[in-house]
Amino acid sequence: MSEEIKTIQRSSSRAPKKPKKSQIPMGLGVLLLMVIIGIALSMKSSNLAMFWIFGSCFGFVLQKSRFCFTASLRDPIITGSTSVTKAVLIAFAIGTVGVTAIKYGYFVNGLPIPGMSYVVPVGPATIIGGILFGTGMVIAGGCASGTLMRVGEGFAMNMLTLVFFVVGSLIGANHFGFWKINFISHSPKVFLPDYFGWFGAVVLQLLVIVCLYIAADKWQKKKLGA
Amino acid sequence: MKEFTLDCMGEACPLPLMKTEKQMEKMEVGDVVIVQIDHSCAMKNVPEWARNQGYNVEIDEVDDGEWEVIIEKTK
Repeated sequence: MSEEIKTIQRSSSRAPKKPKKSQIPMGLGVLLLMVIIGIALSMKSSNLAMFWIFGSCFGFVLQKSRFCFTASLRDPIITGSTSVTKAVLIAFAIGTVGVTAIKYGYFVNGLPIPGMSYVVPVGPATIIGGILFGTGMVIAGGCASGTLMRVGEGFAMNMLTLVFFVVGSLIGANHFGFWKINFISHSPKVFLPDYFGWFGAVVLQLLVIVCLYIAADKWQKKKLGA
Repeated sequence: MKEFTLDCMGEACPLPLMKTEKQMEKMEVGDVVIVQIDHSCAMKNVPEWARNQGYNVEIDEVDDGEWEVIIEKTK
């Protein structure tokens, strides 16, 4: 191979390029609007302004990185590619360290640990819910964050998804109490630091993530040979 | 050398990728397919899949948020 990069020859059938309108003025306008909204929110409550900034930054990163939780679990099966899977695992690892640091900080100071309401029972309901959500997100073309991000991009199908996402969430929230009392609360709540200590919990969780990362890497090599 | 166009406008991933896979099976070596997509996620996984298969790939942003992925079947 003398030339690695080869241009693909194309017949003249392709449509002529439409002249692109610069999006920079629009972008600056949106940025200005976001700053104004941020200032307005900070007058109401500094927490709201912080949520606004974090939310905007998260959305920006999500869009620019093409980060997709759906793809992380779907692509290994469909194409054998695990690059997004590995990205998600790395994000989990960073999140593990960060969240533990925050929780531990509260713990050593004798303050109530934040976010403990998210420690929920683990059991068959988790698996059934996972299968339902997984099936839904592959059909709908995006998980919760992906759907929101694509609505922002202007992808019409995901706007439809968002409508039914809201409808489904409302119906779910309406009779969640029934499921919680009859099924979910029968399973045990697991908060790893209670069982392994703070340090042990972090090490254990990171070890599991590393194992998954290695498995993902091997999976891609096996499926694609590269 | 034939040229095919695959219209995947408005289709969420993984559909464009699966359609491309099917199309590539039908094609002969040297044929080219132009996949038209407007889903940012497919913009990532279609070229990635094709490159992993060892095909020649080119990406063209024809309009804001609209892309053409040109894939040549090389083997």
